[in-house]
Amino acid sequence: MIKSVDILNYLSEKNFELSTGVPCSYFKELLIEIGKSTDIQYIAATREDEAVGIACGYYLGKKNCFLIMQNSGLATIGDAFTSLAQLYEIPLLIFVSYRGLEPDKTFPEHVIMGKVTEAVLKAYGIPYWNMKGENWRKILDKALERMNEDSSVVCILVEKGAII
Amino acid sequence: MRGEEVIASLKEFISDDTLIVSSNGNVSRQTYNFLPRPQVYLRGSMGLPMSIGLGLALAQPEKQVLVITGDGNFLMGLSSMTTIGNYKPDNLKIIILDNEIYATTGGQETVSSTVDYLKLLEGLGIQHYGSLNLVKSPSKLLEAFEILLTSKQTAVLHINVEEDIENLENIPWQPKEIKNKFMKNI
Repeated sequence: MIKSVDILNYLSEKNFELSTGVPCSYFKELLIEIGKSTDIQYIAATREDEAVGIACGYYLGKKNCFLIMQNSGLATIGDAFTSLAQLYEIPLLIFVSYRGLEPDKTFPEHVIMGKVTEAVLKAYGIPYWNMKGENWRKILDKALERMNEDSSVVCILVEKGAII
Repeated sequence: MRGEEVIASLKEFISDDTLIVSSNGNVSRQTYNFLPRPQVYLRGSMGLPMSIGLGLALAQPEKQVLVITGDGNFLMGLSSMTTIGNYKPDNLKIIILDNEIYATTGGQETVSSTVDYLKLLEGLGIQHYGSLNLVKSPSKLLEAFEILLTSKQTAVLHINVEEDIENLENIPWQPKEIKNKFMKNI
């Protein structure tokens, strides 16, 4: 399990000053920590594509913003990827909760998206990593290296309970 | 008065400290042709110019960020106006050029005529300067620009315009080139 405060310290050291997105319960603790942070501000977007717009505008203003969203947002966000972030080659780091990994009778709304999440990312041509366990810093290092080298969107998948 | 004439009239108000985000289609083409370059010319991402403007305004608080959008784009991104109403960066200004049609795609009607923009903006707590009807009072345009761009808070100017006569050619710069030139110029 990864502590929210450690992730924020890491991202702050990497010069992220803003975050935006739409919440998921998997990010509850992370969002509480962001609320306490004096280094990283959070903009509560109404939609995930709006969050991409905010992050892209922030980047065009020469500053770095990361995004937080549920994997359902990947379905909302297509045009913001293909005709903005990817088209203009704007680097973006996106934390995506990996809902619907297992059959879930209580939350059937996540099941279909859970099954296609990785296929959707592959179809968009977006590299992704599943972030869990002790080596999370190495995973983020790798993702950020790729993001900066290719000026590309990268996704970090986060399973239930991975971030506390 | 047509949208392209309104954009061309903005020229004297645009300084090096003004960063423009222009919505996809005719608005960005006119911004490219009639105003100082480089600016952010959107090719796609319909509905997102206001959110891009919000991000840019937060990153560059010393600069003036001006979003120029058509009514179709504005209505698609309407929920982002609630976010802007909440955070209200002082340096963000928005001009809505409302011709009540999707002009770039052949003039199909939008639902803009049903919207009372002043009540909408009032409800969002965003400062506005009335709906400017250029058909009735074209002489008020420059005064409205002056008030908008010297405002010390987030502000919106809604302008009813006539339909442009023709669509301009696409912007010759490739998207990556737009980004690089824009960022180099800040």
